[in-house]
Formats: sequence, structure tokens, C-alpha cells
Amino acid sequence: MKKIRLLLLFLFLYPGIGFPQSNAEALVQEAADHVRAFFKNQAEARVAIVQFENDSELSDLAMQKIYQLLTARLEGDPNFKMFDLLVNFVNGRGEFNLSQAQELDYLLYLKFIQNKNKTGLGIILFSRWQDKLVSLKYIEKNLSQGEMDLLDVKNFAFPELGFSKLTEFEIKKNLMDVQSVSGADGQLEYYFYYPDEIVIYRAKGERLEKQSACKLNWTRPFYPVLNYQGKLLLFTARGGLTLTAGGNFSSYAQVLTFSENQWQETAKIGFVPFKLLVFNGSPYLVGARYDEGKNFFRDKIYFMPFSDPAVVSEIVEKKSFPAYAIDFSTREGQLQGVHLIDRDYRYHLLTGDLAEKSPEAERRGASLAASDDQWLAVSDYSRQTDQIFFYDITAGGQRPVYSGKIRGEIQFISAGVWQAVKGFWVCSRLSQADDEYGRSVIQFWGKRNE
Amino acid sequence: MNKRKLLTQLLALCLVFAIKPYYGGEISIKLNEPTSFTLNTANYSNLILFSLIYENFFYMQKDGAITTHVFKDYRYDPGSRTLVLTIKDNLSFSSGKPLAAKNIQMSLKVFLGANLFAASKLNRIIKNIRVEGAQTIIELLNDYPDIVAMLTVPELAVLAESEQSFSGPFYPEEWEKGKYLILKANPFYAGGRTFLDAVRVMFSDDALPDVFLSSPKSVKENYREFDSGIYQNIYLCFLQGDVGQNTKIALYTLLKKFNEASGFKYRELRTLTSDEESPVSIQIKTFSPQKTASILKSSDITLYILASLSYLEKDLTAFLKNSNLKIETLFIDDSQMMNFLNSSAIKYVLIDKIFQSKIPIEEKISRILKESSFNQFNVKYLRMLGELDEVKYSNSQDLLMEQIARISEAIINDGFIFPLFQKNYSLYIRKDWQATEIDYYGRPLFQKASKNSD
Repeated sequence: MKKIRLLLLFLFLYPGIGFPQSNAEALVQEAADHVRAFFKNQAEARVAIVQFENDSELSDLAMQKIYQLLTARLEGDPNFKMFDLLVNFVNGRGEFNLSQAQELDYLLYLKFIQNKNKTGLGIILFSRWQDKLVSLKYIEKNLSQGEMDLLDVKNFAFPELGFSKLTEFEIKKNLMDVQSVSGADGQLEYYFYYPDEIVIYRAKGERLEKQSACKLNWTRPFYPVLNYQGKLLLFTARGGLTLTAGGNFSSYAQVLTFSENQWQETAKIGFVPFKLLVFNGSPYLVGARYDEGKNFFRDKIYFMPFSDPAVVSEIVEKKSFPAYAIDFSTREGQLQGVHLIDRDYRYHLLTGDLAEKSPEAERRGASLAASDDQWLAVSDYSRQTDQIFFYDITAGGQRPVYSGKIRGEIQFISAGVWQAVKGFWVCSRLSQADDEYGRSVIQFWGKRNE
Repeated sequence: MNKRKLLTQLLALCLVFAIKPYYGGEISIKLNEPTSFTLNTANYSNLILFSLIYENFFYMQKDGAITTHVFKDYRYDPGSRTLVLTIKDNLSFSSGKPLAAKNIQMSLKVFLGANLFAASKLNRIIKNIRVEGAQTIIELLNDYPDIVAMLTVPELAVLAESEQSFSGPFYPEEWEKGKYLILKANPFYAGGRTFLDAVRVMFSDDALPDVFLSSPKSVKENYREFDSGIYQNIYLCFLQGDVGQNTKIALYTLLKKFNEASGFKYRELRTLTSDEESPVSIQIKTFSPQKTASILKSSDITLYILASLSYLEKDLTAFLKNSNLKIETLFIDDSQMMNFLNSSAIKYVLIDKIFQSKIPIEEKISRILKESSFNQFNVKYLRMLGELDEVKYSNSQDLLMEQIARISEAIINDGFIFPLFQKNYSLYIRKDWQATEIDYYGRPLFQKASKNSD
């Protein structure tokens, strides 16, 4: 007790020793102070960083952190409005969504420079209305090797405050997808998609209670597989609940509608629908097609105008990449981007018009999912022990924010909702490292504070 | 760590999802060239080849576990003495034609009609086979709980009515006679699409294949050796009763000399099954080279040899040519053998029998007696087989060995079959290929084989 009292006294007397600011943080703080000082007497100026280059030995990950530290200090200032346009930071350069640049008053250029033992941050402020440079500042600090290593570490935020595992259930094998929809009484119903049936559950506290099941009858051509994979889509059409279910074992997906208290097959579609999206005011089913019997999608994205669950319209296809995983990020029903992991485990981001942004060199795992236009979850390129990485995709790109360890190996990730919290369903099969080898579990990862 | 755990771990490596197994690639295997795609598992090479294009009802793993890809359920009811096999939904042959319960019934009937030891055993047990929807119902005459184990034999495969449809993991796509055969992955394979796109079956020695059979302990860099548990016995048979004893011994002596001249390539066989397990050792006194030559010089001999022994052709032809004897060799297909039996022109035949070392000796001796006595099978042999069955259930090892010795003696004394050589096999698989399993019958199963991507 005496020791603690002494330490507290010591900390009160010397607060700077107790909570020293890192030099990286001091560098960013000084840069933020400079920007805030510039806008001190202005009102509602619209500002964004539009260029960020790295000439130091620090990694792209470290630059993402520097960027976050800086924007966190600039957001919320009453004298100007800070826009976050960063899409990604790759190969020493930031990629920005410049479609909104016309709406800005001031543009910020950043450059990270290494000068012998010191590291500096250059800031250039450009006025779009004056068409001139209005401020230039260079700040230099001595970043130790340890601090540099810390910046390069792959952690961005504490999982406890961000995405964390909210629940976990043991499941029978061959689960392919989980989706949810509000029932007639407004309570969420969870649809667990297996090759031969869809089991519908409701949450009772922290457990799931089976409500009903919809048997799926497939017909030939049927392609037996070693590992079942598939996608389930739920939506309302013509006032009734409709679902589409497809997989790697059939060349068509079933369309079923719920009427007269039972599910009835109304049509067959020649691809696996992922989302119902709006293009030019018209709804389209959008999806991909598995290479039959195998574990990957073919190199095309399919679009089919959708008006009636019983009608199959002409399908339009667009070239993409053969992929282990695909998902579509959306904003208010409109396509924002296509996220995919190719057969070489490289992540690709395609824009809404399917133009490709620069692919990444780093390898990822074989599963991903996008939640609206906010979050992207991706598995790790690893064997036996897996991880899940959560990326902020609000600006159209991907910025790593959280990560979490997963027991076993991820089989699929699917965006969803668990008890009003948005997040991701993560299905994993336990590896031989675990005692319960062969068991499959489904977890839900979400942000507790949302 | 036991073998099963190791296998589980190897399989787990190929089934992980974070890094998915790679679909694609071609594996090459060196085998003997078949004469057709009609199911024929008479030798080890065929046993492997036909396992690639025909699916078995059941598989027996090395540890004795039984698995199936065709049935979603199978159960034996001792009360009604019926085995019910429920076929999986929506199965198809490689051509896309439906694979249904009636194909199971038909395949079983074809098997029961074949002149095979395993089939005759089943024939004695089965009363009736009928189809009800997706179920094939096999009614037995007596309670026989081990019926499923009897259905694991490699000869019991799922056959289509059309010869152009195959049930196995692969189907024949391209055949360049004398060179290679390309087997493509069957997209409708009941066990699930293989990771491999194709298997190249090579018949020549142009290049070192990924998988091949060779003598045990042939050290090969970058290859893993698997004990196949299989051996091939080679016998000299005399199909007609009018062959003189001296001619028999002289021909036997000559063939033994052939092995000696080729540096004892093949292991000498002194029993009907294998020297390690047989209660009797057969000593046939050979003649001197001079006596052998003088006997055979005056004979006009055509030695028929089963095609499964075609690997002997080159050496044997050269040896006979050097011996200046008038002995002609003629290779015949295994499937044609039965058609030749009634011909009195066929007197001398070299045949082979493939055995799995774990099969009980009484089963092996029964097979030899039933399958290799040809048209000389008689009431005496039938009685001996009946007695063998009786002692099998007496639980007396001594009595069993005594009966086996009695049968062996009778066979040799009757002089229609002389054991010559034994060939042991190891299976070599290139280390790049992972998750290839070897089943109880020594067959490599490529269903989950994939190239190591690490």
C-alpha cells in the first residue's frame, strides 16, 4: 500500500512522466494545431486531405495510423468541417475519393519524410477559391525505432471497443449462409441455409429457438461437392417475402416465395443472387456463379432485372475475376463497390461501374463480406488458426480498424444483424489444434456500442 | 502419434477454408494398358485403373472402417435379415444420365453373375434383391451382420447400362494407344468433384510419373513410399489332363531358370498363397538343364500368358529365344480367358492372382481352388471347400491349417497348378501431392488429392 501511495504522489508531482506523449503523437498534434490555428477565425470551411505521400521507412499501415491520429484531432472543430476521403493507402501513397473535391474549400497535402534520425511531416494548405497555396508547415521529431515498430504493428483499435464476438452457437455441418429478416410481428428471424434445408430461428435471450424449416429440393444437374458453399438472399417482393438460394452444387438458384403459410418455388435462376440492387430506378438481382462442384466463383458478375419472383428475365453479365469470395457494398440500395478475393488470395475492389482499383500485393483469406457501405470483414491468409479483419469502407475504399482472433478456420463471413446490432456472422470449423476438431460454430461479431 | 491422427491432420490441411484447396492440375500414373473399359480387376494395375472410373458400393479403409459415397444411408436389420441401401438424391453418371437404385440393383446382379470368389460367397447368402424408390433392399437367407464388409470388394462397382457412362471420380477422355490415357474429372462424381482436373495414365517409360508401382524399398528422391499390402502370385497352369508329368516339370524348370537368368527379379514362391503364412511348403524337384532341353525339344508348346503379366514379355521372349526351344508365347486378355477354356488346344497357361496380405489364408486357398482349377473343378474340390467352411467355424486353428494343407497337397498332386513367383508392390507418390489415401485393397484414392500449394 505504501508503494502505491508513493507512486500516486510521484505521478501527481510529475504528470508528464506518468503519461508521456509519444513523438509520433506530438508530431501529429503539432500538425493539427497548425491547421486549427489557420482556421481559427473562419466559419464552416470545408476541408479534406487529398494527397498523402510517404517517403519514410514506415509502412502503409503506419501511415493509416498517422492519418487517423490527424483526422481524429481535426474532426469536430467548430471553425471548419473536416471530410475523410481516404480510400486506401498502398505503395506509399494515399488513395482518395475525389468525387467530392468540388465541394471543398481547402485541400490539404501531406508528406511524411525521413531525414537521418528524424522524421518530419510536411503540410501544405491549398485554397480552392483563391487557387493558391495558403500555408506551408514542416514539423520534425525524433521517432525511435521502438515507436516506428509500434506504428507498423497491425493493430488499429481495441476490439473491446469495436467489433467483438457477441454470441456463438454450435451448428451442424455444411452451414453455408445466415440471413435475417423481420417476422410478421416485427421480431427478427434468422435463416440458416444448409444444402437440403433452411432452418428458421428466433432469438430467445442468448439462444436460438427453431421456428420452422423449409426443405430444399434440388434437381439434376446436381454436382456433388467436397465442401458445400452457397448464398441466401431474403427480400420482400410484391408484398411477400421472397428468398433465393444457390450454391456450388447446382447450376441454378431457387427462388421461393412465402405464401399460404408455406414456401413455394417460383423460378430458377442461372446464377447465385447476392443482393437486390437498384440501377436507374429499377431493381436487379446481382450475383455470381460458382464453377460447378468447386470452391470458387467464375469470372463474371451477373445482373438480372427483377420485378416478379415468378419471372426470369434476361441476364446481363460483366467480366470480373475468378474469386473465392465476393460481396457487394451498397448505399441505399445502390451498388457502391464489389469486393472480391481472387484465386491467388489477392483482394480486388471494383467500383460501382466494375472498374478495378489497384489490387493489393498482400494476401488475404478466402472469405469476406460487406455490411452496407460501412464495413468490410475479411479472413486471414493462414492455416488452422484464423483472424478476422474489419475495414472501414465508408469512403469507398478500405481502412483497417479492428481485428479479432477466430478459433479454427473461417468457412464463410456474412453481413447480418444480431439483436438489433449490425455486424457479421462468421462460421468457422475448429481445427485439430482445438480439442473439438470437426465441430462447426457460428459467431456474430458486432460493435457493442451501436 | 497414431496413423489415423496423422491422416486426419493431413486431410485437415487439405480441407481448410482460410486457404482453400486448389482445384486444378493433372496427376500422372504409370499403369498397364487396359484392353477395354469393361470392369476387370484381375491384377493390381487394373485394380487401380478401374477404381478411377468405377465407383465402389463401399470402401474399406486400411483400419477397417467402411465408407460410401453412393449411399446416404445403409442399415442391416437382423430381424428381417435385410440390408437396405438408400441411394443419395440426384446422382448422375459421368454422362449426366441418372444414377438410381435400379443401377445399384443391376450392378449387384452383374457382380453376382461373375465367376469370382467374392461373388460366389455372396451368392450363397443373398435370397433376393429388390428396389423400392431410392432403396435397394437385399434380403438374406440367414442372419449375416457382416454383409456390408462383404460389399467392400473392389469388383463390386456401380455400372451404367451404357458403356460410355462411368460412376468413378474420373472418366476416359482421350486414349492414345500404347502411350497414354487421359481421365477427366467426373463433374457428377457421387463423392464430390475431385480437386484434380485430370489423371494421365502412362503406359510408356518416357517420363517419371507422379505415381507408380515398384518393388519395395526402391529409394526414390522426392517420392513417398506406401506399402500397398498387395502381392501378385504367378502360377503355371495345365488346362488339359493329357500333359505328361515330365513336360510339366520341364516347363516349370525352364520358367524357374528364367527367373534365375534375369537375376531373381521375382521372389520364388514355394506355396500356393505366400511362404509366410502357408502351413505347407511345396518342393517340386526340377530337372537338369540337359534333361529339360531334351524333353521340351520334342514338344510343340504354346504358352498362353495373361495380359496382366505383359511385363514379362520382353525378358521371357528373349530368354526363350536364347534357349533354342520351340516355345511360342501368346498373351491373352484376362476377360477372354474363360472363352479359351473349352479349347483343347490350350494346355499351358501362365496366370496370376492378386492377394491382399490381410485376407485370411483360407479365403486365398478357396479362391485359388475355385478360380484357378478351371474346367478341372470337381466334386472332390467341392467337398474340400465344404470341409474348409466347416473348420472355419470350429475355431480350431490346428484343424484349419490341417485342411489348408490337405487342399494344397491335393491341388499340387493333381498337377494342374504349380506356384512360380511372387511380386510385391509398393506405391510411390511424388511428395508434391498431398492427401492421397491408400485403401485396404492397396489402391491410391485420388478423390481428395491436390497439389501442395505451399
